Amino acid sequence: MKITAVVATLALLGGGALAQTLDELRHDGSNPDNVLTYGMGYSLQRYSPLRQIDRMTVKRLVPVWSLSLDNPWGEQAQPLVYNGVMYVTDAKASVAIDVATGRQIWKTPVDWLPETPRVVCCGVSSKGAAIFNGKVFRTTLDSYVVALDQKTGKEIWKQKAAEWMDGTSMTVAPLIAGGVLITGISGAEFGIRGFIDGWDPDTGKHLWRRDTIPARGEPGNETWPQDTDAWQHGGGSAWITGSYDPDLDLTYWGTGNPAPWASQTRPGDNLYASSVLALRPKTGEIVWHYQFTPGDQYDYDAVWELILADIDVAGSNRKVVMQLNRNGFLYVLDRTNGQLISAKPYEKVSWASEIDLKTGRPVETDVARNLRAGQEVELWPSTRGAKNWPHAAFNPQTGLLYANTMHRGALYRHIEVKPWVAGQRYQFVENRVAPLPPGEAPAHMDAIDPLTAKPRWRAPLTDHPQWSAMLATGGGLLFTGKETGEFIAVDAETGKTLWQFQTGSGVNAMPITYTQNGRQYVTVLSGLGGLYLNTNRQQLTNVPLGGSVWTFAVMPD
Amino acid sequence: MMRVGSLLIAVLACAPAAAQEPNSFAPEQIRLGAEIFARNCSPCHGPRMQDPEGAFDLRTLPAEQHSRFVNSVSHGKNSMPPWAGLLKAEEIEALWAYVMAGEK
Repeated sequence: MKITAVVATLALLGGGALAQTLDELRHDGSNPDNVLTYGMGYSLQRYSPLRQIDRMTVKRLVPVWSLSLDNPWGEQAQPLVYNGVMYVTDAKASVAIDVATGRQIWKTPVDWLPETPRVVCCGVSSKGAAIFNGKVFRTTLDSYVVALDQKTGKEIWKQKAAEWMDGTSMTVAPLIAGGVLITGISGAEFGIRGFIDGWDPDTGKHLWRRDTIPARGEPGNETWPQDTDAWQHGGGSAWITGSYDPDLDLTYWGTGNPAPWASQTRPGDNLYASSVLALRPKTGEIVWHYQFTPGDQYDYDAVWELILADIDVAGSNRKVVMQLNRNGFLYVLDRTNGQLISAKPYEKVSWASEIDLKTGRPVETDVARNLRAGQEVELWPSTRGAKNWPHAAFNPQTGLLYANTMHRGALYRHIEVKPWVAGQRYQFVENRVAPLPPGEAPAHMDAIDPLTAKPRWRAPLTDHPQWSAMLATGGGLLFTGKETGEFIAVDAETGKTLWQFQTGSGVNAMPITYTQNGRQYVTVLSGLGGLYLNTNRQQLTNVPLGGSVWTFAVMPD
Repeated sequence: MMRVGSLLIAVLACAPAAAQEPNSFAPEQIRLGAEIFARNCSPCHGPRMQDPEGAFDLRTLPAEQHSRFVNSVSHGKNSMPPWAGLLKAEEIEALWAYVMAGEK
């Protein structure tokens, strides 16, 4: 691969231990000292074969250092590690930390106007950074993309992706794929028209924009009303980092709900909202697409992690992309061409009875029809989904997905849609929590078979759902965290919690594991924030705010 | 953007908002407040102020706390962002009228 060779040469000439290459990014995980990509590998499996910390040794897991992030807005990010330095982002700063000691090396603040959170529907945060060739890349709440010097934290370039006062914001962690820096956008709750951008990582030059809602005359626009400009405020944001298959040279990005949530002004399928787009990273060309929820009227974003794996399907090894969709179905698609292989419910679903594998479309129930007709319905899953963004893990050894899921319905109806106004909400629904049937838990940890969507085990959570990503390890463990602050290790075979540690605030972030000098570490951010805090502040009054980084290792004998 | 009717302006001009009797707000003002609420506030404070989940339960806001209300809405509080740049003063007063009048 020519570009890889050029970049590798440049890296060598630069002599930088900081200048990691595309090849290193591609093989993230082969050197366990580093965590170079969002998702711990381009496949977003959040799996590490490391096994020093296992079911037996985990009881001796202790904190080795903690660093304050001095941030009240909440911590959701996944840290990255390269050559002994950890890179952490939140909405207010980017930080480099010495992995050995936990000491801060540099900290670069991020400034945005105090009004900016007005256009952030669901939590002021940052999901993380990308690193490549001596630079740290991140997005800002007010919709800029920034490159920092990996060594000093000094800004190298800064580009405006969009105008925040029009309702856009950025919390997404960028992706480096095929040498291109790729970012998405948030703001469907404010009636933006979503997009995915490609940038030159060296200079910040804008290379391409893939609007997720096609313009008049482009394929897909025919799924929008032709006599109004509904498509221009059609939503379809892209606020979670895509996966990447370097062999196929395709990057997979999920798109958010169409706007407004109430669907009466946008009859039709509304491509490419609530879909997966398989894109060429160098051009942004759509190679194939699949829409999970046509004419979505429920806020069923499809932005969650699109996990890549090669799995056995009816006796043949298939390259698949998997998603535990917000709409309650677990989709498995052939990632070479977008063909639907399987789509089974993994939670209670009331809006559709099944997904027709021949047409790829949901078979809608009366709930969907009555909602469209203006009635209040009991919607399962609720608008927050059978699963929200906290990412699942996939262990290729067990072939199972591990996820924090939710079991809630909504009493939900559409109200009159008003004209779009810059920076104002563009949802037009009434949305209340439906009563939970007695004896049912509002959330679970699940081990799920991808093709049947049946749980191998379910561990009920009776107080709060967990809003942390899962991390699966070769030691037979899962790591995740609780809104009440506990960082936990779970037996991946049974769902039993084997170990926990109380951090100083809520844990709603993405744990990682790596080694240094042969010792295995686990790191997670603590800092209550995000949508769950917004909707459950009264229930979390005894969980203080405030960000910090926590790193753990097994105490020597 | 919704325009406030001249009648409403007149009502606002001659009536102090603080500690006003709930039934003394102009219906147009309450209606405007309800519209702004349904669009921008209900996602956190609950539809028609019911089921506010984690956000402040506006049904419990005492009538003498007009200035606290205007200050919080204008400048933000906890997770709530400042609204002053987006909503006009009379629109925030309309929200106050709606909150005080309550859902019937």
